[in-house]
Amino acid sequence: MAAINFGYTISKPRAIDIDRNNLRKSDEILHEMPELQACIGCGSCTAVCTAGNLTSFNFRKVHTLVRRGEYEGAYEEMNKCMLCGKCRLVCPRGINTRGVAMLIKRKLGDF
Amino acid sequence: MFAAVAWKWGSWLWRLSSDDRRRILKGIPSLATLQAVGETVSESLLHRRIFRVNPLLGYMHMSLAFGWFLLISVGWIETVSYMGFRWVPLQGHVFFKYFATGLPHKPVFEFTMDLLLLFVLSGVALAWGKRLYSRAMGMRRTTRHAWGDRIALSALWFIFPARLAAESLTAALYGGGGFLTGSLGAALDRVADPALLGHAATAAWWFYSCCLGLFFVGLPFSRYMHIFTEIPLIFLRRYRLRSGEKEGAFDRFQIEACSRCGICIDPCQLQQTLGIDDVQSVYFLRDRRYGRLRLATANNCLMCGRCQVKCPVGIDLNTLRLNSRDTMRNIPDERRYEYLKGLDRSQGAGKVGYFAGCMTLLTPRTLRAMERIFGAAGEEVWWADREGGVCCGRPLKLSGETDSARKMVQYNTDLFRKHGITTLVTSCPICLKVFREDYDLPGIEVLHHSEYILRLIRSGRLPVIYGAERYTYHDPCELGRGSGIYDEPRAVIEAVGELLEPASTREHALCCGSSVANTAISDGQQLRIAQAVVQELEATGAETIVTACPLCKKALVRGAKGEVRDLAEIVAAHIR
Repeated sequence: MAAINFGYTISKPRAIDIDRNNLRKSDEILHEMPELQACIGCGSCTAVCTAGNLTSFNFRKVHTLVRRGEYEGAYEEMNKCMLCGKCRLVCPRGINTRGVAMLIKRKLGDF
Repeated sequence: MFAAVAWKWGSWLWRLSSDDRRRILKGIPSLATLQAVGETVSESLLHRRIFRVNPLLGYMHMSLAFGWFLLISVGWIETVSYMGFRWVPLQGHVFFKYFATGLPHKPVFEFTMDLLLLFVLSGVALAWGKRLYSRAMGMRRTTRHAWGDRIALSALWFIFPARLAAESLTAALYGGGGFLTGSLGAALDRVADPALLGHAATAAWWFYSCCLGLFFVGLPFSRYMHIFTEIPLIFLRRYRLRSGEKEGAFDRFQIEACSRCGICIDPCQLQQTLGIDDVQSVYFLRDRRYGRLRLATANNCLMCGRCQVKCPVGIDLNTLRLNSRDTMRNIPDERRYEYLKGLDRSQGAGKVGYFAGCMTLLTPRTLRAMERIFGAAGEEVWWADREGGVCCGRPLKLSGETDSARKMVQYNTDLFRKHGITTLVTSCPICLKVFREDYDLPGIEVLHHSEYILRLIRSGRLPVIYGAERYTYHDPCELGRGSGIYDEPRAVIEAVGELLEPASTREHALCCGSSVANTAISDGQQLRIAQAVVQELEATGAETIVTACPLCKKALVRGAKGEVRDLAEIVAAHIR
C-alpha cells in the first residue's frame, strides 16, 4: 500500500557532533579572540546588523556554528558583513565583534 | 653612500605611475619648484615645524642640520680660498686642516668655523641631554631605536667632539685655530709635551674619520636617510604627488623621510592612556621600511590623526597605514555583496537627501532630531536609509578591504544619482569623509549636518532660541582633522547656548577611542580612553557634552556622568 502523501516529511536529524568535527580552526579563532567565549547568545549583534537587515545574514548563528566546527558556508556568509561596527557597540559582553568577523574571514578564507 | 641614495631615489622615481610622472613634469617649470626650495630651507635646514612643537627641540635639530650644513659649505669656501680659488671637491675640506698645516692663517674663517662648530656642538650636547631628560624638550617619551640606528646615532654624536679634539690638537702642534680650537690647542700645548700631542692628534683624526665614515656608510640604511629623502619629498609633494589607497612608489619617499624623531609617540592615546608603545607611526614606518610589518601593528591604530598633525616632516601617516592594511588584507572577490543589486528602501522625493548612516540608525535620537529640524525648516527630504540602507564603505576601507568598499561606494553613488538629489546631508562624519573623498558625485553637494543646520539658522529658515545651558564640544576625528570642519559645529552650538572649550581642542582634540579603524583594542581599553576624554571634557564645567558624530556619542556616553548629546538634538530642543 502506497503511503499517503500528507505534505509532511520527517526532518533529518540535525546534530552537531563536536567529536567528529575538525575543531582546529575553531581553536585557533578562540585562541586569538578568547573573549568570544563570553558570548551569551543574546543576539543583539544580529538585531542591529546592517547586513542582517537586508539579507538573512545572522552573525550570532555564523560565529556559533564556527565555534562548533561547522565551517561550511561560514566564509561566504561572513562576507555579507559590511564591518560597520554596530554589533560591537551593542554587545553587552563587550566582545570585539568586528575583530571576530575579520578573524573568521581570515581563518576560513581557504575553506 | 651617494650610490646607495641615488639607487634608491632612481628606483622609486622609476616605479612612479605615469600620472605621477606627468605631474612632476608639469610641476617643475612652475611656481611649485620655488616654493619647494623655500620649504626645503625652512624645514630641512631650519626645522621650523619642530620649533612649533618645542623651541629647545627645534634648536637642537636646527643646530645639527643647519650648523653642519654651514660647516660643510663655509669649510668648502675656506678650502677653496686657500687653494687659490681653484675647484675643490666638496669633501676636500674634511681633512684639510690635517694635511694643510703650514698655510698662512685666515682669522675670519677660523673664527667662523669655530663658531659654527660650537653651534653644532651645542646641538650635540642638547641631544645628549635629551637622552637623560627628554621632558625638558616637551617629549615625555622618545623613540626606542633599532641597533642599526644606535650605531649611526653614536657615530653622529662622536663626529663633532672628535673634530673638536682633532682640530685643537692640530692647533696645539702647529698653531692657528679660532677662539675655540686655537685656545684649547694653546692650553694643551702648555700642559703636554709635543710628542704625546703628535700621537694624540693622529689618534683623534683617525677617530674622527672613522666616525664620519661609519656615519656616512650607515646613513642610507638607517634613520639618517631622512636627511636626503626629505628634500625630494618636499618637491614631489609640491608637485601634488599623494599616496593613495594602494601602495605606490611615492610611499617610499614618505617612509624613508621619517627621521624617527618620535614626536608622534606622545600624542598617541594608545600610548597616553593604555601604555601601548610599539604601534605608533614611528614604529609602523620603521617596520614597513625594513619589511617586517606585522598585521597586529598595522591594525592597532585609531587613525585619529593626532600624530599626523604633529609630524614635523608632514608624512601622510594615515594613508600609509591604510594602504599597508590594503596590502595585507584586501581580498578581491567579485562575488561579494551580490545582494546589493536592485536594493532600494529609500523614501521621499526631495532634492535634499539625508543619509543617516549605520551609526545614526543606532542613535535614533539623532535621527528624530534631524526629522524635527527638516520639518521645522520645511525641507522636503529624500530619506536614503531610514528603513535600512547600505553602509558607506568607509569601515571596510579602514580595515583594508578596499575592493569590497568599492562595491558599497558604487551602490550608494548609483542610488544618489537615481533619485536626482542636489544636496546630500549626513549626520555621520565617517560617511561624510568617504562621500567627499571616494565618491564621484557631480552636481551633488555633500554636507555634514552641522554645516547644513548652520545654513538653515543663518538663512533664517530655522529660528532657534538662545538658552542658558553651557555646552562643551568634542571634535570627532573624522570631522575635524579628517574633513577640516571645526567652526560650523561651534557656530551652531553658540547659536543655542554657551560653548566652553576643553583643554585639547580643534586639531589637537582627543579621539573617543571607539574609532572603527581599530579592531585590535578591547572593549575595556576603549572604555578607558573614553573615560580619559570625558574627564577632560567635564573639567570645563559644562553640563552637557556635545558632539557631532553618532559613534563618538555612543563612546563618550559610557564614560560620562552628565549628558552627551548630538548637535542635532540640542538644536531640535531649541527650535522656536
